[in-house]
Amino acid sequence: MLHDVKDNYINSVKNHVSQFEENSFRKLASNDFKSWPSPREETWRLSRLGVLSRKEITPIIPDFKKTFSSKSQFNGSTIIRFVDGAFRKDLSSKLPSGSFLNILGEEESLKCFHKFKDSNLKDHPSTNVSFSCTPSIVKLTVEKDVNIRNFFEIIYEGGEDNLSVHPALYIELKDNSSITIIERFNHLSSLIMPLQLIELKKSASMDSLKIFSDNQKSYNLSANCTFLSDKSNYNSFSLIKGGIFTRSETHAYLKGENCNLNLNGVYLSSKNQHHDLTTAIYHDVPNCTSKQIVRGVLGGKSTGVFQGKVRVAPDAQKTDGQQMSRAILLSENAIANAKPELEIYADDVVCAHGATVGEIDDEQLFYLKSRGFSETKAKQILITAFLKDIINVSVEESAQNFVFKEAELGLSEIISEEI
Amino acid sequence: MPLLEIKNAELKLDGKDILKGLSLSVNKGEVHAIMGPNGSGKSTLSYMLAGRDGYELEGGEVFLEGQSLSKMEADERARSGLFLAFQYPVELPGVGGMSFLREAVNSRRKFLGEEELDHLAFVKEARKVASKMFVKDEMLKRAVNVGFSGGEKKRFEILQMAMLKPKISILDETDSGLDVDALKIVSDGVNAQRNEDNAIVVITHYQRLLDYIVPDFVHILSDGNIIKSGGPELALEVEKNGYAGLINAA
Repeated sequence: MLHDVKDNYINSVKNHVSQFEENSFRKLASNDFKSWPSPREETWRLSRLGVLSRKEITPIIPDFKKTFSSKSQFNGSTIIRFVDGAFRKDLSSKLPSGSFLNILGEEESLKCFHKFKDSNLKDHPSTNVSFSCTPSIVKLTVEKDVNIRNFFEIIYEGGEDNLSVHPALYIELKDNSSITIIERFNHLSSLIMPLQLIELKKSASMDSLKIFSDNQKSYNLSANCTFLSDKSNYNSFSLIKGGIFTRSETHAYLKGENCNLNLNGVYLSSKNQHHDLTTAIYHDVPNCTSKQIVRGVLGGKSTGVFQGKVRVAPDAQKTDGQQMSRAILLSENAIANAKPELEIYADDVVCAHGATVGEIDDEQLFYLKSRGFSETKAKQILITAFLKDIINVSVEESAQNFVFKEAELGLSEIISEEI
Repeated sequence: MPLLEIKNAELKLDGKDILKGLSLSVNKGEVHAIMGPNGSGKSTLSYMLAGRDGYELEGGEVFLEGQSLSKMEADERARSGLFLAFQYPVELPGVGGMSFLREAVNSRRKFLGEEELDHLAFVKEARKVASKMFVKDEMLKRAVNVGFSGGEKKRFEILQMAMLKPKISILDETDSGLDVDALKIVSDGVNAQRNEDNAIVVITHYQRLLDYIVPDFVHILSDGNIIKSGGPELALEVEKNGYAGLINAA
């Protein structure tokens, strides 16, 4: 008898949570995972997951004996390490005063689950699967009025072929606190489903830097849900270069007045890679600003997707929402999709968006060649400048070099193939 | 042997004849001015010489010191000593002026078999040349041409010319968009580089620039060909009677 391959992963998720009680958050979540999103669903039309339903993947049982020693990239940073999706205190640093990490119990986890389920990430596969299968939800709290200058470096490692990993991190910044978090995704798994819930309380400020450089066969379906209170700032930059398929989806809810959000990103895609930056920004109250700059460089037969939704509620007057995406194609077989989506229900707002997809600018290329730069060198200079530009405006100064080097590594993959 | 020799150049753009058998010889130590009305083919000529894609000759040939340019890409021509000062210098966001200049200069030096300049030596040289061109240090630190005024862009072009020490420079409407003071600075910069071993071709609409950069020869370009050549007095004739009279007479 033919078995229904479509149900493989769904069944293995159900098996994974079989010992839990019916009303546990894991069971509730697993009950909601009924299928992979269909390409008929608008936000998954350009990023299809059909392949996953044909793979034999099971959720990982973390191995707490595995060790990893990838080094810190910054002086004085606090390392938080996840291996196989599980937080590893033994491989992490001691936390600076005013901040602490704890593993949530059932009750707190259930609350966290409901926050996701009340958001528009409720049907995201990572929401349901990772709440089912995460080893635990880890919460990082920064106390009121605590400003931590040294970076937090969160490193996600481990995983294996045909296994899925499910790190879940909840970050709460209390009033007037601030941190900078640098996350690196370096998994070896076939499927990675990171969850992140961020709550920024009054006047809290967070800089977030995410570098997606998982194994070249990996699928990474990252889901991030962020809530901003009055006068809070969230400044996020994602660099996507790894995996065969990486989608970073962020939903940001601007719930308090005078908050400020930057959701910038770069994707660097070569060979058969598929990279997707999907964002949804909900301006629910007046007087907030949001800004997005997204850039992509594509070679080979790669595909890039940027989907950016901005919703301005009827009461959200004086909203300033800007969105700009640009992609450069270095190969005839690469594809870049840009889908801005503005839903504006207020009348006194400034919202703008622009999207371009094209080749390297002809005039600029000729100008450089006319100064003696070879075509290869000229293209390199222009693409590098294209990335430097956005990195300089998105990333805090002391991390710019690091991000730029990471970007150059991704770029060299494309350039070696195309130029 | 002429430094630059254009022989019966023919060029089409979008199926339309633009250059129709144009010939010109430029020797070392000479300054030639090419004047012509709009649409006469002036900018096409400069792009063709610099080797822009899409501006390849259909007939005829161009030689730089006896070497055919037809198989050379724009960058090879530049390294060989051909320089084009752009009518509209292109902005390069994110490309720092100093590193751009240094790489350009070093690729030229490498071609000439000279030692490449290290950072310090280069900065010293660049500052020296820049101060003569009234180009502020701060401008070199900015991205190439980004946020520059019209005058600053042209001064930066001539600064590049001074640093690259080309054999032949094509100045494409370098006077456009310049006020009198800026025109004088730019012209002084160009004149300072005139010597017995190089040559300059000035392409312009107006006689005005030629008061400052005095040419040895003036050529009138019309409908894809040089219809008249002469000395500096020819430019004055254009100024007085316009192009129409010359074109009708030809």
